[in-house]
Amino acid sequence: MAAPIPRDIPLPLPAPEGFLEILLVVAFLVHIVFVHLMIGGSLFSLVCQIRGLKVPDYEKLAYRIMQLVTVNKSMAVVMGVAPLLIINTLYAPQFYASSALIGDMWMAVIPLVTLAFLLAYVHKFWWRHFINIPELHIGIAALETALFLFIPLIFMTNVNLMLFPEAWPQVKGFVSALLLPNVIQRYLHFLSATVLSSSLLLVWWTGRKSFAQEVQFSKVRLLDVRRFFYAFAFGATLLQMLTGLLVFVSLPAQGMGWGFTLLLMLGGASALPAVYWMWQNLTRTDHLLDDNFKRIIASFACALVLMGIARHDYRENALADHQSAIKEKTANYQAAVKVAAEEAQLAAKALEEQPRGAGEIAFEQNCAACHHATLPTVGPSMQEIKELYAGDPSGLIAWTKAPGKKRPDSMAMPSFAHLSDAQLTAISGYILSH
Amino acid sequence: MDFPIFHIDFIGNRMLIAVDAILHVIINHALAVGALPIIALLEYIGIRNKDKRWDALAFRLLKIIFIVTTTVGALTGVGIWFSASLINPAAIGSLIRVFFWGWFVEWLVFVSEVSLIMAYFLTWESTRDKPEAKLKHWRLGLFLAAFSWITMAIIVAILGFMMDTGNWQTERTLLAGLFNPMYFPQLGFRTTLAMVMGGMSMICLTYLYTRRELAFRSAVLEVLSKWTGAWLLALAIAAIWYYQVIPGHMLANIPVAVTTQEYVSWNSQLKWLLIFGLAFVGWVAWASFKRPGQVHGAKYALSLVVLVLMLGQFERVREFIRKPFIIGNYMYANGLRVDDYPLLKRDGILQHATYAGIREITADNQVSAGREVFEQTCSRCHTVNGINSIRGQLKNMYGDKRWQADIIAAYVENMHGARYFMPPFPGNKTELQALSVYLASLQKRAAAFNGAQINGIPAPDFISAATHYGNIPDLDTHQGEQH
Repeated sequence: MAAPIPRDIPLPLPAPEGFLEILLVVAFLVHIVFVHLMIGGSLFSLVCQIRGLKVPDYEKLAYRIMQLVTVNKSMAVVMGVAPLLIINTLYAPQFYASSALIGDMWMAVIPLVTLAFLLAYVHKFWWRHFINIPELHIGIAALETALFLFIPLIFMTNVNLMLFPEAWPQVKGFVSALLLPNVIQRYLHFLSATVLSSSLLLVWWTGRKSFAQEVQFSKVRLLDVRRFFYAFAFGATLLQMLTGLLVFVSLPAQGMGWGFTLLLMLGGASALPAVYWMWQNLTRTDHLLDDNFKRIIASFACALVLMGIARHDYRENALADHQSAIKEKTANYQAAVKVAAEEAQLAAKALEEQPRGAGEIAFEQNCAACHHATLPTVGPSMQEIKELYAGDPSGLIAWTKAPGKKRPDSMAMPSFAHLSDAQLTAISGYILSH
Repeated sequence: MDFPIFHIDFIGNRMLIAVDAILHVIINHALAVGALPIIALLEYIGIRNKDKRWDALAFRLLKIIFIVTTTVGALTGVGIWFSASLINPAAIGSLIRVFFWGWFVEWLVFVSEVSLIMAYFLTWESTRDKPEAKLKHWRLGLFLAAFSWITMAIIVAILGFMMDTGNWQTERTLLAGLFNPMYFPQLGFRTTLAMVMGGMSMICLTYLYTRRELAFRSAVLEVLSKWTGAWLLALAIAAIWYYQVIPGHMLANIPVAVTTQEYVSWNSQLKWLLIFGLAFVGWVAWASFKRPGQVHGAKYALSLVVLVLMLGQFERVREFIRKPFIIGNYMYANGLRVDDYPLLKRDGILQHATYAGIREITADNQVSAGREVFEQTCSRCHTVNGINSIRGQLKNMYGDKRWQADIIAAYVENMHGARYFMPPFPGNKTELQALSVYLASLQKRAAAFNGAQINGIPAPDFISAATHYGNIPDLDTHQGEQH
């Protein structure tokens, strides 16, 4: 398979490439953490609200969780701007191409996110108004969550498509790009990370000293709620490893490399201690849920950073050949542009040196756009004007200074009174003698 | 030329950006830059007068601002990026290379702005009854107002740059681009307009929120009318300043003065809208200051509508006078650089357009080759059947007479001389002829014109074919054959 080789934008990068790459990895990780917390928050709020139909305390909890979503969703958006900016800078030929190929859905991101945010606000700010119509309230929450879950799929499709230029000619719209190998696997991996990170956040958040005061459960024990989230976190961790393996085995070979594989191994391995500690906290009676919490977070953070670097490494591998071909083509093209510009300059000079009357020059500058030598274009042709005004140069000049609209099917000519009489005389002379 | 061509044939590509961007600007000016300082002012009056009503009103107004700016406001801002990168990637990509650090700083300010508005809004109720914390909270509001103005100040530099690149063409530095000649007048104009719009939108909301407290309403409206009126005077001065900077400057670039008639009609529309609008808004502000509480709400609402129209029209004129360029003197609206022209005119654009499906034009493929040329050179601004459609343009010119390819070709070749807002045609003679045959064919039949998001891109053997300037390294088989 051959890939289309476009040219890059012929302006220098604003900073050294390596520096921009580091910035991209860091900015993306910050963004993705908030995205996980936003989506997971919305998901857990929905789950708690549904449980709240039977156990009212869970409805209180759902409301509290939505307050986190408000903050996380704003952070997710602003933190997304930086990686978008950098990816636009570093991978312009690939990223713009893949965006255009799924253009309709890519553009839909904006209204979909806006709608999801507005629904989240309705869900949260008008909580009390829905007290007697929980079905509607849950319906809104479900729609909001569904949108939150769908939008990452668009992003994933795009960042996957940009990696494989040789697949671009086969792609016809969003769905066909979505069905490329690896998108669904990546999405599942993403979803388990969402559940993992947001349930861990909720374990911490419900463990704060002031939380019991804030939420004021009447029946449910706070510890049970926290164990509920903890169990999710543990399950999601296992799922995360499974889906991670699935992604790994389905990754197209272009981007594979030993460095990349090693990074993945290290990333996976650094999450193992967390699995051990979490298992202990869940099963052993002499352990508390909050034991080793900071260590668990550190272990996951370590895995996250390594995976972030690996993800970037795969992209660099997958696009290495494409990038170098683009570089060469861009350089060739710029050289050709230079040659053509020099040729054109010489040709223009030669044209200038040809003896031409003042009338011809003025005609070309002022009239030629609308008056062709023989064909009617915007206005009548020179031929026709010549026939109309034969032997009447002053009549032609007078018309030019104060034209009107003669022909019903063409537009009125603007006045040329700003030209000097000498110029107008030269022009009319040129037309009538042409 | 280097990117698959996304195209929406119904509302048109320009309209997509315009709708998103104008919505964004209205929200930014009226509800962020202009309204946030007012919220801080109302909060301050509440603290000073120890009057809870001021505080409660400020919080209610902030809630609306918070909801709108953090959803539609923020997302339409990101939407400008999305739509620009689909519609004219060459232009936005170039701007990003030049303004990367400007945008990066803008992003940092944006992060601060969002963090501040969340802190300001979400801690309002918890600090309400603690005098010391309340004062700190008020300071947050001041910072928020300042940061929201700074985000605008940075973006205005980029907008100004697109109209007039100043010394950038020779210096190519960020600062040269930032402090171009349009910068300060435009910033002045936008700042004052935002303050007036902020004032008027808060007046309207206050009017709605104080239906049962008429005495309090008068007190608030008096303050807000003073604010609006004072900024309106500043706006009048800034408008004159800005008005004197643009036309002279842009008109100087236009070789043939008669061709400015289209511009003049836009410009005079703006002028009358400005004069009439400012006079009306000024009259309402004055009446409201003299007799607060006795001006009918409809007049306030109408003032706000007039201001929004003024802003919308201003953006249209600003975009219009930039033409034929998208980045002044560097890149035309069709996404092609001025420097690319000699090469494209010599070889033809299809030779160099990465995603074109036809390279050689023959007698048999003229219509489909013409369609490709249209896609590459016209489709950034024109649709076939939708808004600003090429069919409509041709119909205006030739009506029901038979559309003739050679007459169209004669026009297209020279049109940039008469229609100065049009870029010159970038291709060679054969392509001009093919384009004209395609355009003439539209009189009888226009097949649906879809972009790459529906049609995809042509097969790669076409794409990687040898071109005028040497073989293109192919990703697999041709690797060894380069010369």
